Amino acid sequence: MTSGLDPVIHAPARLRVVATLNALREGDTVTFPGLRDLLGMTAGNLSVHLGKLEDAGYVEITKTHRGRTPVTYVALTRRGRLAFEDYTAEIRSLLDAASPPADG
Amino acid sequence: MDDDERALSPQEMLRLIEQQETAAAERFVPDPVPHFLAWGVAWLAGFGALFLHYGLSGRPYAPVPAWAALTVLWVLMAAALVVSAATMWQLRSPVRGPSQERGMMYGLSWALGFLGVWTAGIRFGQQLPEAETGLLWAGLSMMTVAMLYVAGGAVWHERTMFLFGTGMAVLNAAGVMAGPGWHALLMAAGGGGGSIVAGLLLRRARRR
Repeated sequence: MTSGLDPVIHAPARLRVVATLNALREGDTVTFPGLRDLLGMTAGNLSVHLGKLEDAGYVEITKTHRGRTPVTYVALTRRGRLAFEDYTAEIRSLLDAASPPADG
Repeated sequence: MDDDERALSPQEMLRLIEQQETAAAERFVPDPVPHFLAWGVAWLAGFGALFLHYGLSGRPYAPVPAWAALTVLWVLMAAALVVSAATMWQLRSPVRGPSQERGMMYGLSWALGFLGVWTAGIRFGQQLPEAETGLLWAGLSMMTVAMLYVAGGAVWHERTMFLFGTGMAVLNAAGVMAGPGWHALLMAAGGGGGSIVAGLLLRRARRR
């Protein structure tokens, strides 16, 4: 069963968000529109998922201004990175358990 | 509840992770292949033409005037510079933070390096014979390029970049000692050819 997997990440849309943010170098952030384009989601949909990730403490959202236009930057927190690493490791071990390494 | 809340099988989730990581890496990390190929072609053709002009024993191998060889070199290097700059700007678009600052500082170090090359070349070039002036410019330029590749390799922890810079530094030093013909040959084959090979190796690594 897959019940031990982190329910925050174990949803395709949020998994994609987290995997994308994990590709940023530590300390870097990505703009909200940049992230939206990369994921091919609508702004509303992405906001909802980011909200859930933020509630879990996995994502940090910074709202600031560039001149007069508001800009939003998104980054994974340290906790978010760890959660993603754990999730990936668990998925891999599930797959290893399901299929014994017979194809050497 | 909408579709993207419903979990898939572990296999499909893993595939989703891998696809998304590849897509993100392509967007966040600039593709260095066009950069290596553009500079490789510029040095191979430009220094190749200079090599034919100088020859190894002071006698030209082909009737290539110096101005024509230098025009090929400078025009192709200017084109390569445009390719490199385009690569950097593409990277900078959606990402903010230390990476962006690092890229800007590194870009500035190229401008500062070539400021030194130009001032030294103009000041001392006037007092040398023609072939030595050419070697002064070429030697100083390629030393600067080599050092910036070595530094870039250290900044981004890129072994290919570091090794390529190291090789260029050694070949450049040897070429300056040996004379204009040898220098042009080493830069065409080692610098130009080496850059093209490095570009092709990086392309294969990225497509893996």
